[in-house]
Amino acid sequence: MSAEPTSAKPMPAKMERLYTERLQRYVTAMRNEKPDRVPIRPFVAEFTAVYAGYTCQEVTQDYENAFAAARKCAADFDWDAVVANMVYGWSGLTQAIGLKYYAVPGVDLPPNTGFQYLEPPQENAWMQPDEYDQLIEDPTGYLFGVWLPRVSNDVSPMGQPTTYRNNLSFLKGGMAMWQYFNAFGPQVARLRSESGTVSAISGILKAPFDIIADKLRGYKGLCMDMFRCPDRVVAACEALAPHLLHIAAGGADPDRNVPVGLWMHRGCVPFLSPDQFEKFYWPTLKQIIEELWQRGIQTLFYAEGEWNPNLKYIAELPERSIVYHVDRGDILEVHRAIGHRFCISGGIPNDLLAFGTAAEVRDCCKRVIDGVAGDGGYIMDASAIMQDDTKVDNVRAMTDVTREYGVY
Amino acid sequence: MSEPEKPKIEPGACVPWEVKRKEFPEIRGDEEIVRRIWEDVDALGYLYVWQCLLSF
Repeated sequence: MSAEPTSAKPMPAKMERLYTERLQRYVTAMRNEKPDRVPIRPFVAEFTAVYAGYTCQEVTQDYENAFAAARKCAADFDWDAVVANMVYGWSGLTQAIGLKYYAVPGVDLPPNTGFQYLEPPQENAWMQPDEYDQLIEDPTGYLFGVWLPRVSNDVSPMGQPTTYRNNLSFLKGGMAMWQYFNAFGPQVARLRSESGTVSAISGILKAPFDIIADKLRGYKGLCMDMFRCPDRVVAACEALAPHLLHIAAGGADPDRNVPVGLWMHRGCVPFLSPDQFEKFYWPTLKQIIEELWQRGIQTLFYAEGEWNPNLKYIAELPERSIVYHVDRGDILEVHRAIGHRFCISGGIPNDLLAFGTAAEVRDCCKRVIDGVAGDGGYIMDASAIMQDDTKVDNVRAMTDVTREYGVY
Repeated sequence: MSEPEKPKIEPGACVPWEVKRKEFPEIRGDEEIVRRIWEDVDALGYLYVWQCLLSF
């Protein structure tokens, strides 16, 4: 989704040089080599709204506002790369489809609260426990025939009379998705031409286990399933994997510069025991990452939560096949365990960026740079996606200190 | 009478070409172009539901 339109205007020479310099810096670090200085690639979501003067509602309901906020941040801060729109769940689309599982700012939530996912009660899970075989036999058919009617207020269940709203859900949903995805090309081009900023990622991936937990059985339901029907859980992950690989590969950067974003939710401590991780979560995810790498596609392994107990599994992955992002794990331990194999990003705590002082942020960034960036292969970023509680002064401090101190 | 065996649906497809082809009594011209465009557009439907699952 990050491909630039072929009719883009030629960039001013200055911005073209800046873009080329930033792209080289970013890619060099991701290949676990030493660039000229530490790249800065902040994953900023609702923070962009705060900085640019929008409410959460305004950036969630109208993606053009979100795009403008991202461009303003990219132009004002000296960042090497940024996500084209980190407030990714456009509520215009989710409302057109009639999705039940979103709490939307300004509608279900106060206008300055970020959107939220709503998991149904366990007994009303979007996928029932006796439907594993149906999912496994034909995942696409299951999604259209069973899942969509359950998660949408407008889609009619199979076998029931169709309705005006059912037809509109598919028509408007499809056209809105097409419109939204096509808007990313010009946005990426404007980031490049207006501020010389690289679009940080391209494509999307989630672990098969996380798909089942987030969108099908729910986390609690899946926890029960791991005991009651473990072979079905494994088979479901295996059935989903080729489709998730297909989607990830289809959205990947055709130039093979920037990675696919892998967003993980339940693979870390304390959601799964080590045995459960090894049996249910890891095999299919590893297979997908390895297959992507064989096609020249790197994965941004966005390891939210505490993943250090799983580092021995991460170390199994092919060298340079991932950029490993650190949230709550000890980043020095990460560097010792896998820094020789993969680029590392993150490690600046979000609570520090939200509640600390600029001086504390600067000290933290320097410690991280000293600890893990010496041989290259490190990208400056917060531990997790920055939302509306992140202080502008602290993001500026993180940016400035990296520019001053992170020079090789 | 037994039901016809349902083909395994590969990633990228909703209604595989081998299913759709049976709906044409004949194709009087270039079958390859019909197949290619059918699969390209079918992939858009596939993309829709899997992106609903993954991204939204």
